Amino acid sequence: MIEFKDVHKWFGELHVLKGINLKIDPAEVLVVCGPSGSGKSTLIRCINRLERIQKGEILVDTMKVHDSKANMTKLRAEIGFVFQQFNLYPHMTALGNVTLAPMKVRKLSKKEAEDRGREVLEKVGLGDRIGHYPAQLSGGQQQRVAIARGLCMRPKIMLFDEPTSALDPEMINEVLEVMRNLAHEGMTMVVVTHEMGFAREVAHRVGFMDFGELMEIAPPGEFFTHPKSDRTKLFLSKILTH
Amino acid sequence: MLETFNFRVILEYMPFFLSCFLATLWLSGAGLLGAFGTGLLACGMRIGRFKLLSRIAYVYIESIRSTPLLVQLFFFYFGLPSLGLRMSEASTGILALTLNSGAYMAEIIRAGIQSIPNGQIEAAVSSGLNYFQRMRCVILPQAIGVTLPPMLGQAIVLVKDSALLSLISLPELTRAGQIMTSERFMPAEGFLTSAVFYLVIYYFLKLMTHWSQRRLIYLQT
Amino acid sequence: MWSFYIEQLIVSLPFFFKGLGMTIAVSGLSLAAGTVLGFVWGIARAKHVRLLKPLLGAWVDIVRGTPFLVQVFIIFFLLPEVGIQLEAFPAAVIALSNLSACFICEIVVAGISAVPSGQREAATSSGLNWFQQLRYVILPQSMRVILPPLVGQYVLLIKDSSVVSAIGVVDVTRVGWLTVQRIPQGLLVFGLVAVLYFVICYPLIQLSNSLEKRMSVSYTRGKE
Repeated sequence: MIEFKDVHKWFGELHVLKGINLKIDPAEVLVVCGPSGSGKSTLIRCINRLERIQKGEILVDTMKVHDSKANMTKLRAEIGFVFQQFNLYPHMTALGNVTLAPMKVRKLSKKEAEDRGREVLEKVGLGDRIGHYPAQLSGGQQQRVAIARGLCMRPKIMLFDEPTSALDPEMINEVLEVMRNLAHEGMTMVVVTHEMGFAREVAHRVGFMDFGELMEIAPPGEFFTHPKSDRTKLFLSKILTH
Repeated sequence: MLETFNFRVILEYMPFFLSCFLATLWLSGAGLLGAFGTGLLACGMRIGRFKLLSRIAYVYIESIRSTPLLVQLFFFYFGLPSLGLRMSEASTGILALTLNSGAYMAEIIRAGIQSIPNGQIEAAVSSGLNYFQRMRCVILPQAIGVTLPPMLGQAIVLVKDSALLSLISLPELTRAGQIMTSERFMPAEGFLTSAVFYLVIYYFLKLMTHWSQRRLIYLQT
Repeated sequence: MWSFYIEQLIVSLPFFFKGLGMTIAVSGLSLAAGTVLGFVWGIARAKHVRLLKPLLGAWVDIVRGTPFLVQVFIIFFLLPEVGIQLEAFPAAVIALSNLSACFICEIVVAGISAVPSGQREAATSSGLNWFQQLRYVILPQSMRVILPPLVGQYVLLIKDSSVVSAIGVVDVTRVGWLTVQRIPQGLLVFGLVAVLYFVICYPLIQLSNSLEKRMSVSYTRGKE
């Protein structure tokens, strides 16, 4: 579904992605972790071309993402993206946030979009908040609306960039719950996160990134009990002690 | 039009333009000084403890801000003689500029002083500094940093405002353009030259604004 | 003596109101045209259109760095030389519209920049094109930052409109200037003119202040 072929990216002089090779199958859940500055957010942002690459290729559903002739509208309609800072549109209600893209990009009628919107908000547990504005919702609720906003487009892939890092601890679970259900339904997901419990339970594979390189990638059982590189071991020891 | 643009005439009038340029500079300069003084006074009255003075300052500031400078200029130019006050055009012009920019300066100074966090005053009081020491060492240095850029902005406005003085026949940059129009029927050469001189002043003041913002960077918290 | 002058002034009141009408006409037309143009230029500048940005930037800078009176004279006297015959009123509207557009353009650019970049990223990620993003996500949010200074700018432009009296447009300032030749009481005559401007400008200033207070209450609590 998603393929990285020898991908390199530089931010000026800084080499942030060093020769990434990766293949993600449909319905696979990949969790990517690593210290800050390792390039994991950049990696995921290259998939829907929020960031550009200088070398290599990224293919989504056999479409070349970074080709100048690529139909980005079509591509982005198939990829849902959930941000760390939610980025909900403050001037629209939850329903408004969720139905904007379906109406303008998928060209649904208002009624069709709103029906779908209600369904999707119900699914994330916010069926009774469709008329609320982001300012009236808690962090956890806002992030769930953000997920619903992605789902309303009926994408093939959902990308999550540290979805719970900006949340107060008591709200993390409600978001992880939604993500867990999504995974069980067979959605192809790439999740950048520090939530190792989630990784252990839900991921098919876990990848570790450090200094722009994908150091290790393995199913969670293997990854957590027998990490191969020293750097992975160091990272895991720091992150699993609390 | 450019083929018929008469550079020779401009050269011929250049001494005249230069003297008008200087006139604009000193009229603006005098106005700026007057405005600063008036602004300090009006601001002091506005934030001071006496309600009457505060009211008077408020009326002054709001009247200036809600009426055009040209009307204020004509008010003094045509109005003062009927009170028996015969002033030269230059004095009337400077008076109008002073009172007009003074009101805006007062607001700038007020905003500057009020932007200094209370914590600063509390810290200064706690270390035992008296009113004047606090003002001199803590409040005013910070206030200057905050108010300098907007004051330079007001200086730019004032220089442009000085152009209106040409309408009471004061010899300055815009009047030079008018004279070239009436004497030689060359409005293009006249006003475009005036415009260039104004832009020189404008870019100079803009440069000073950037320079002052860099020097005073320590005040950006 | 004073009562005689006041009587004369009252007789002239219709002229003053006609002049006021002219001031409103010039200002109204120029502000409308200037707002439309200012938004177009502002959006163009925010979008990094390659050639347009420096050109527009230079033009806006020149207009902001020279006195409006000089611009009015240039437009009034110069355009006939390139073949466009202009009367005072159209020349005035063109000059004031241009001035308005340049200042409003800067306000619009600042407003658009104030919208957090995350909003643009979220909109891009759902596949919305540039125009859709601007219309549904960016512009609505930028209006909160644009509106208060915009109203303030309108006040400044209404005051600037008094300058067009110099090329003969019979606005309320010019009526004052003409009247004072007959009724040599500058204080009374221009006091009246000042009051007429005050009646229009003061409420607008208050509106701008109250808009600023209302719009400074932020949308979201906490996370930005």
